[in-house]
Amino acid sequence: MRFALTPVKLTGRRKCPNCLKMRRLQFLIIASLLGCNDGLQPTTICPPGLVGICGHVTFRGTLPDSTDAVYLVAYSAFPQSEADLFNFRPFPPQVLGLPPAGDSVVAYGLPLPNDQYHWVVAVWKKVGNLNPSDTASADSLLREAGYYRDPADTTKPGVVTVQSAGAGGIDFIVDFSNMHSVSYFFPP
Amino acid sequence: MIGRPLAVLSALALAAPVAAQQTGTIVGTVHDSAGAPVAGAKVDAVGAAFTLTGAAGRFRLREIPAGTVRVRVAAFAFRPDSTQLTVPAGDSVAWEVILRPGVFYIPGVVVTAGKRPESLENVTASVEVESDSVIARHAVTTIDEAVNRVAGVQFIDGQVNIRGSSGFQQGLGARVLLLVDGVPMNEADRGGIDWDLVPVDDAERVEVVKGAGSSLYGSAALGGVVNIITRDIPEGIHGRVRFFGGGFANPPDSLWKFRSFTGMQGGGSLTGSFGTDQVRGALTVGGHHSDGYRQQDASDYLQVAGRGEWLPDPLTRVLFTGSWATNQFQEPLAWCGPNQCPNMRGLSYQPFLVDTADSGNRTRSDHGYLTATVTRTPDENTTWMARASWLRTHFTDFQRAGNDFAVADRFGAEGRIVTTPTSDQTVTVGAEATESQVTSDIFQNHTQEEFAAYGEAERVVGAARLTAGARVDLLADDGGGLSAVISPRVAAVLPTGIGIWRASVGRGFRAASLGEKYVTTPVPPFQVVPNPTLRPETAWSGELGNTAVVTSWLRTNAALFYTRASEYIAPELVGDSIQFQNVQRVTLAGLDLNVTATPFTPNLTASLSYTYLDARELATDSAPSQPLAFRPRHLLTLSADYVWGPVSVGADFRYSSRFDRVELYETDPRVAGKVLDLRAGWRLGAFDVRVLATNALNYVYNLAPRTLEPVGTVTMTVTYVY
Repeated sequence: MRFALTPVKLTGRRKCPNCLKMRRLQFLIIASLLGCNDGLQPTTICPPGLVGICGHVTFRGTLPDSTDAVYLVAYSAFPQSEADLFNFRPFPPQVLGLPPAGDSVVAYGLPLPNDQYHWVVAVWKKVGNLNPSDTASADSLLREAGYYRDPADTTKPGVVTVQSAGAGGIDFIVDFSNMHSVSYFFPP
Repeated sequence: MIGRPLAVLSALALAAPVAAQQTGTIVGTVHDSAGAPVAGAKVDAVGAAFTLTGAAGRFRLREIPAGTVRVRVAAFAFRPDSTQLTVPAGDSVAWEVILRPGVFYIPGVVVTAGKRPESLENVTASVEVESDSVIARHAVTTIDEAVNRVAGVQFIDGQVNIRGSSGFQQGLGARVLLLVDGVPMNEADRGGIDWDLVPVDDAERVEVVKGAGSSLYGSAALGGVVNIITRDIPEGIHGRVRFFGGGFANPPDSLWKFRSFTGMQGGGSLTGSFGTDQVRGALTVGGHHSDGYRQQDASDYLQVAGRGEWLPDPLTRVLFTGSWATNQFQEPLAWCGPNQCPNMRGLSYQPFLVDTADSGNRTRSDHGYLTATVTRTPDENTTWMARASWLRTHFTDFQRAGNDFAVADRFGAEGRIVTTPTSDQTVTVGAEATESQVTSDIFQNHTQEEFAAYGEAERVVGAARLTAGARVDLLADDGGGLSAVISPRVAAVLPTGIGIWRASVGRGFRAASLGEKYVTTPVPPFQVVPNPTLRPETAWSGELGNTAVVTSWLRTNAALFYTRASEYIAPELVGDSIQFQNVQRVTLAGLDLNVTATPFTPNLTASLSYTYLDARELATDSAPSQPLAFRPRHLLTLSADYVWGPVSVGADFRYSSRFDRVELYETDPRVAGKVLDLRAGWRLGAFDVRVLATNALNYVYNLAPRTLEPVGTVTMTVTYVY
């Protein structure tokens, strides 16, 4: 007999067919009032959506007439030999916007995959054909023009971690009057 | 008149060794569900003896035959309660009672508003009481956490605000006066408050008086008074052991992660007491460690607190209280802005990390107090009190740029007489003296003297109760010339058919602390410079309030308040320097509303507390009117508690609107405060287990500049009472 009454009770409950939705709505309203997750949020310096690094490059010195381009690249580990020179990211490298005349500051954003980078470096390239397998070609055409430095010890390269967001404040100086060739780092 | 009780006491003392073998004592307190003491309740040890509770809700049943006895309590307007107790021979047993409301409501008794015991319904100011039962139910571990739950009260990085009184000034110059058993305890150097002077377990209740209280209490009571009343000592040998432990939630976003472990905290305290008819003493020792919830936020804390009572005769009580605490904590002030920390992960700010300029900063703070109070009631119409006190604070900031220190002593003395010449008149008169001494490299070496006399008279006229009083304060620095400040106040209470109305108008003031006057310290890129010419800030305050019992299960308490202050003291930028100056005229106006209900079942208590605040700096010749910094326009607290036998559960939701204005860091992100606290308790005989989840949603927000308010925290507290 009790089971027989069950449909009657269910019918009675169906007078409010949207009760479940209403309860969900009430829950959402309460949750909104309680302010789940609308407190302080992480905000990045870099452009929204960028996964990589961003910052400002301060240009110094006169841009050489023989300039082909200035690239910005990042190494997961500091190159141990000339063979590691082209183990950088992103590949192909991204060209850094060239400065207007005189000293100036230019903002940049460089997409990079999640990783820890131990050398973020600006590379100046002279006009000419670069053969990656030819060390002499690299030594004559490429120059280190500046790199991101450790804020605590500016004699060392700084370490940057990219973790699904833009790592900002990666600021450094590119000095066209103080560039170094490949052989400076890897003497013959 | 005194001889006969003494003779009886002598006879009892002689008989005690024999009687103590066969009888014991039952002691305890009767509170209502809101925590207010219930006076006049009948406590009956069935078949043995009965008594009535006193003004503070306390009772003591002597010479109860040892063994099991049924005890019941009944009070007008409350549901009766009973229990079975085992009375130890020659010892005492405690019974703490919380009565559920019946058909009517009887108010409790408070002592802070008029410097004398008086019924809540006769008090001319807005008063909130946090009883020990409420404090225990909320499972808080410090007094400030308990006070922070009072309607209209908000803490900003430790600085208390009552109705927006203080704002945020790094703890300097509180506009709230802290009392411990009626003794002023604001720091002698900074004028701020050390909330850990009294262990939370030693507090019987905390009374919070809102609005200017300078007509009785003088300086610092401009925005209100908080009085911590320590626990009475029962007869016999008793003990309490309390342990707590828990953890802090990790940052809700992995980009904010700053350590590889979960922060924890834990500690404990041990209290032992012994009491006889004439002498009683209690000692509490405790300590705790916290990893903190931010980088560089760890702390270690040790405290010892004691209380002694001597009752040379039934009409006289001599009370000694004191505590000493040492707190060593890292300083997590100032979060990381762009490029201020080694690994910002591209964030424009990192609220869990500390600016590298502050890296390694820590503080050692030692502080404590001693008080001695004699209270005597020579006849039923007169009570006099005399007390002396000493408060010492000593802090050393260990900083990269150089250490700072300050040693400050505050010596105080007060005498007071409360007399009731006729049944419809009460007169309170007193005198107070305070000497503050500071030795410091940043505040220099200075003294501040305060002498005061005060009086207040209350008279019943028809149904109304009228009060008028004033206090004269004479202030001097370094033994120099005295300047006078007068703080008058008039008030009235009128019971009507639509509740009890109260109205008051008074003048309050706050003398600048020695810290505000003489501070000299670099705050890069600025230099804070002294201003010895700072004058006291003054304010006229008014309040109109109503307390009503709407139905047997619904009570309301509302108040409109208005304060207009002049010579307001605030830090001002003068060229490359910061200096405290009398610069602002401000108004603080608003509404307090409290609704307490026991709907559906007496086991369920719910409350709503709302404060609307309009705090403004008035326009000057050089600046337009603008909101006062660090004041929320809306404060809302919703609470609910359900008690089912030994089990209780409850929740609080606290909302504070986003500050309209802050100082120095106006472009920093700031949000409204939305905090949900959940709690549960289980009482099993002498054990009490409480679990508290504060900020259960792990809502990340800030009130003070560049530092976070507490993140989600789970704490379990176990208390055993003997």
